This record gives sequence, structure tokens and C-alpha cells, in this order.
Amino acid sequence: MRLAVLFSGGKDSYLALQYASIDHEISCLLTLESQNDDSWMFHTPAIEWTKLQAKSMEFSHIVSKTSGVKEKELDDLHSIIMSAVLEYSIEGIVTGAIASVYQSTRIQRICNALDLWCFNPLWQMSQRKLLEKLLSNKIISIITGVAAEPFSDNWLGRTIDSKCVKELISLESEYGINPAGEGGEIESFVINAPLFQKPINIVESRKHYSNFSGRLEIMEAFLE
Amino acid sequence: MSILLISTCSEKLCEREFVNPIAEIVQSKSKQILHYTECTAKAVSTADKILICGTSLQDNLYRNDCKMFTTLLSRFKKPILGICSGMQIVCSIFEDKIVENIEIGMIEVETLKDNKLSDGKFQAYSIHNYSVDDLKFFIVLARSENSIQIIKHKSRQIFGVSFHPEVRNQKIIDNFLQI
Repeated sequence: MRLAVLFSGGKDSYLALQYASIDHEISCLLTLESQNDDSWMFHTPAIEWTKLQAKSMEFSHIVSKTSGVKEKELDDLHSIIMSAVLEYSIEGIVTGAIASVYQSTRIQRICNALDLWCFNPLWQMSQRKLLEKLLSNKIISIITGVAAEPFSDNWLGRTIDSKCVKELISLESEYGINPAGEGGEIESFVINAPLFQKPINIVESRKHYSNFSGRLEIMEAFLE
Repeated sequence: MSILLISTCSEKLCEREFVNPIAEIVQSKSKQILHYTECTAKAVSTADKILICGTSLQDNLYRNDCKMFTTLLSRFKKPILGICSGMQIVCSIFEDKIVENIEIGMIEVETLKDNKLSDGKFQAYSIHNYSVDDLKFFIVLARSENSIQIIKHKSRQIFGVSFHPEVRNQKIIDNFLQI
């Protein structure tokens, strides 16, 4: 089946892509750049650098902008999916949705209206299992956003390795955070993974942080 | 207790979404997951309970193979739970009616009769293009405004759930496992 992947550049959409690529042809990646940092639908930090990830994986990539206004952004999602239908004759969409009924319901409705399959291969996966899957699949990602106590600015730019995973899990009981960031506690950006032909080297970045909330702005990066 | 999970997904990728979450809830050490086309009479006969899992909105291939389920399951006397497409399948075994009915998203379900799976009113995640109606062999235990949501066979321990209990209603699967 020819599939398009809703791709934010983070660990979840990458893992969904990797699972989908096992048995299916990935026709293109679809990225919506939200102008709203608090979008209900779309992951935002480092989104402009998804082009480098697509280049490394040698996938076609459709990027479009969305205002990020709740519900209006669904029209933009519909449009980008239609672009993939027209350009690549895709038969289905893949998402990295895990637990958000809000996200999955809206994507399912758009796919159903367009007679497309909708695949959510991470659906209902536990936060711990997701983190284990990142490690076992050798997916290297960094933290590009934090939005919960007790995250300090030291977490920004940190690689999600086994030590980091242990710390995230330990924060679950103490602070009630979702260790893989399902509640928006952390955002991530994949810099190397099995589908990458070349890893991404981040040369320069800048932290924006205040009161347990921050993001890593990537200023310069290249494929090694 | 030996639990058999039957997949109705024609695409392997769908199983991550519709079978794996149920397998996570079913903690039995003796748990087997088989696609219905790989399911044998022996696998069925050794099971203590069977769960028939749902599949994607666009996946209707199982509807062509309902006779296969009749052959496999009609003599199985222990509890069966059919989820979404699985509910349509358990109804089709008895030739009860399957109808077009699109529901995508959260719905309110009201329990109508005391039963072992649900009680009261609750929110449920629904995603299907077909449901069941005008049942002769099943009683309706719960329904939403638009459609029948939970059923039980009149004389056997065969249940059907139209929504997806693996999302936000895991207790229903736990309750089935306790029967």
C-alpha cells in the first residue's frame, strides 16, 4: 500500500514511520508547520528541520503552514492529505497518535471522508514501552521542548538515551509526568535512526526557557 | 487460563492498533494471538476464552469470511467477546443483522440491563462503519443514542461490544476475563 506519514520530526512520528515502512511503500512525509506553539494537533519545536530528516531518509516531503487555530487547522490537514492523494496516489495515512482521542478522531474522520486507510501503529502503547522501543530500535532523539515541573533548561538538547529514560521514568511517580511526554511534557527531534542514511549534526542551537517551560531552537544543522 | 485473541485485520500494521492494546490488557501467561485465517479448530478447542479484536474503518475483508468464523466458533461453548468487527462476526454466526452505521469518536453509552461487563452511563471510543440491529439471538445490554453497543447471546456466554473498550474502558475487558 502507498502511504503518507504525518511527520513532525519527533520520536513518535518517526517510530510510526519505521513500523509502516516494514510492509508498505512510504510515498511521502507530510508536515504541517503550525504557527501556534500550543497547537492541539501538531507538534511544533524544530518543525522546520524535518526537511533535513526527509532528505536523510530520501523521502519526498510535502510541507505546508497552518495557523494552528483549533478546528481551522483540520482544514489545513485535509488540504495537505489531499495534496498527497493527488501527487502520490496514496491509499492511506500513518500517524504517531498514542492516546489522544481528540487527534485520532479528527484524523480518522478526514481519512474516512477521503476513503483512505488510517494507521496508528503506536495507539495505546504505554509510555514506558514507547521509550523502550526507542532504545531497542536505536532511534536517537533529543529533547527540543519541555513544559512541566521539574524540567530545567538542562533538559533541552539532551539525548534520550538509557540514562535519560531512567530519569524520565523516575519523574513519573514523583511529579506525575508522562515519561514519554504524551501530555506535552517533552517534545523531541530525531537526529539519527535506522531509516536515516546520514545522521543530523546540530551545530548551533539556542535555548528559550522560563518557569519549567522551554524549547530548543536549532539555528544550524547539517547531514554528516 | 488460556486466552485466544483472534485478529480480524487484513493488514499486519493494523494489528499494532487493534490487537496489541488488547493483548497488553490480557495479562494471562497462556495467551495466543492468531489471525482468523491461521486459526485452527485445535487452537479454538484449547482456549478457555476467546476475544475477537476489531480492525480499521477501511478494512472490510473479514465480512467476506464470516462463514469461516461460523465453522470455527459455532461449537465453542466457553465465553467469547467480539469487539467492533468481532461483534459483527458473532452476530453473523447466528445470522443476525449487520447494518451500515458510522460512528467515529467519543459516544455516551447507557447500560440498559444488569450485566457482567458494564454498568451505568459511560463515555466510549467508537470507530466503525457497521453495527448490528434487529437482533433475534442476542439481547441488548447497552446502547448509545444511535446504535446498539453491548450485546449478549440469549443462552450462551457470547458478548459483543461495538465500541473499543481497549481505549478508556479496559475494565470491560477485565470484567470479561473474570467471567
